[in-house]
Amino acid sequence: MPVVPEPGPREPALPEPGPREPGLPESGLREPALPEPALREPAHRVSRRAIVMWTIQALVVLAVLLAGQVVWWLVDDAPSRTPHWIVGAAWLVGGAVYAVAMPQWRYRVHRWEATPRAIYTQSGWLWQERRIAPLGRVQTVDLERGPVAQLLGLAAVTVTTASAAGPVTIHGLDLPVARELVDALTAAAVAETGDAT
Amino acid sequence: MSNGAGPGDEAGGWRRLDARMLLVHPLETLIRFLPALLAIVIFRAGSDDNDRWELYAVPLIVAFGVLRWVTTRYRITEGQIELRRGLFTKQTTTARLDKVRTIDLTARVHHRLLGLAKVEISTACGGHDRLVLDSLSVDDGRRLRAELLHRVDPAVTGLPAPTGAPTAVEDVPDDAPPPVDEEVLVRLDPTWIRYAPLTVTGLASAAAIVGFASQGFSRFSEERSVFRDGATWVSRLQWWVDVLLLLGVVSLLAVGAYVLTFWGFRLTRNRLGTLHTRRGLLTSRETSIDAARVRGLRLDEPLGLRLAGARRLKVVTSGLLREQGGSDWLCPPAPAGVVTPLALRIRPDEAAVSGPLLQHGPAAQRRRTSRALVPAILVAAALVSARFLWDWHGSVLVLVPVLLVAAVALGRDRYRALGHSVTPDHLVSRHGSLDRQRVVLDRDGIIGWKVEQSFFQRRAGVATLVATTAAGAQHYDILDVPVAQAYAVLSQVSPDLLAEFA
Repeated sequence: MPVVPEPGPREPALPEPGPREPGLPESGLREPALPEPALREPAHRVSRRAIVMWTIQALVVLAVLLAGQVVWWLVDDAPSRTPHWIVGAAWLVGGAVYAVAMPQWRYRVHRWEATPRAIYTQSGWLWQERRIAPLGRVQTVDLERGPVAQLLGLAAVTVTTASAAGPVTIHGLDLPVARELVDALTAAAVAETGDAT
Repeated sequence: MSNGAGPGDEAGGWRRLDARMLLVHPLETLIRFLPALLAIVIFRAGSDDNDRWELYAVPLIVAFGVLRWVTTRYRITEGQIELRRGLFTKQTTTARLDKVRTIDLTARVHHRLLGLAKVEISTACGGHDRLVLDSLSVDDGRRLRAELLHRVDPAVTGLPAPTGAPTAVEDVPDDAPPPVDEEVLVRLDPTWIRYAPLTVTGLASAAAIVGFASQGFSRFSEERSVFRDGATWVSRLQWWVDVLLLLGVVSLLAVGAYVLTFWGFRLTRNRLGTLHTRRGLLTSRETSIDAARVRGLRLDEPLGLRLAGARRLKVVTSGLLREQGGSDWLCPPAPAGVVTPLALRIRPDEAAVSGPLLQHGPAAQRRRTSRALVPAILVAAALVSARFLWDWHGSVLVLVPVLLVAAVALGRDRYRALGHSVTPDHLVSRHGSLDRQRVVLDRDGIIGWKVEQSFFQRRAGVATLVATTAAGAQHYDILDVPVAQAYAVLSQVSPDLLAEFA
């Protein structure tokens, strides 16, 4: 069923409605002239120490892989050790790239901003996402500190709404910043009454 | 809010389960342990032991039932429903009345013989705060349901309370009309049963029955020549007769499952807007959904139904549990000419329910096609290499073009399904080919947004816009929408939110 874009009469005009005909042949890579995205990036970066935290987390993953490799080395009875070297080299190269690139990339992406009315985050690296939750719908505000985060004086703030799909988490905040944020969010959430669904 | 006299009332407004549950409980225990009992009987057949020691279990089971009846009480008091259970570990569950979302009355065959029903009360917080009363008499169950959903004193059943604070009864004008009038929105037409074999649900239940039956058969097939002869007879037939036979059996089973589940299906709405479904041939089930908790509709058009011009309707509401299969159905598979008007009566927004949608453009189309084609190409390559490396039969190569054509068709169909629109009250999203669904979500029900982009989505300039909600699947996605359109939707639905970060 071919459908025609038809903004409702009471609606503001859309900036760029989609192409009208399905199945029209493509004339090259037509990257549409997008208007400036209506949503800017969140204002604040997370702490620089978050890079260290993510690096340590990546190294933990590598350590687990190394342990697996060692076990295999000890258990394997075959005379040839070539497969061990190949597999080991593969994950070592991949892991090294991961441990170097991922934290930097994450740090560049991770941003957050909270206003009295809403919280807005940007996170991820290969998969990135932006989340917005109005504070009127907030149900709980959590402050979490994992072992690595504690060592580095960092904390994560999680804001939960009534939807199981919508928790908003900011990793790698400086502890004082995180405490302040939690207080501000809690105050804002308390000010708002109602069912929050 | 206090509740006055009712049968079974005791001090403090506590009420008990219906005494007839004492009969139901041993029966259910018996059914649950039937396999074990059968095993004992079969085992005994081979021995000389005449000691009927399994009979000792009967008084224990009865005593357990009595204990449960004695220790289980519930009451409605001060805006809460309280359920108290247990002898040694006393367990009290409470739920605020204004958090009650839906109420299910389920009556299996033995319940129905005794005029009983199991009452399940779902609250906002899902599984944790679910109250189960097993069982009340049907009348008590219905009365309880009316009390909970309408939050009125039974003495003034005529006065509806607006949802929200349970104290708001005074808001209702004295001359409010009586509430009895229920309008029937849809009633099962027996001819709809023809759609049963076209749905995955129908096929899955058929497959379950076949699997169960084949297990049973295999146990006897060694002794009984009937089964062996039957198997030989089937294997001698032409292959297409076998296929037809299989289709026939599966269809029959799917029809059977449909009849069992949906027989007598009826959807009604009372004056307060509470939706009420009733269905089932042997196990009857009644579900009541508070109108204030409904956050939208979902029109399902899986491929089979779509080809037959049919669809089905579900409700998007908070407080229904996912494992309660089928509680959210507002209409079983039925002709589109029935389902669409029905959806319009519940959400009178023609543009949202059946209007055209905005398409997502060439980038989305490329992504749909490549995502359908890549797995097909991999499988095709595997087939070709199997043919030449391991000498598989040449006929597998026939599958290659079939596979590729099917993948292209699937990709095209998936792209055609893709779309969204924003109406003054609703956000509409549609996607899927084999399991196409169109979700009409109330704009009020959206409690947050996500804009997700994978690496490839960023390169293609598209994103997945996710509206989170407390109802239904908790989140509804608009797939592969161009980034600018995603933000346009955001600015239409939540302009104030966007203004914060523009």
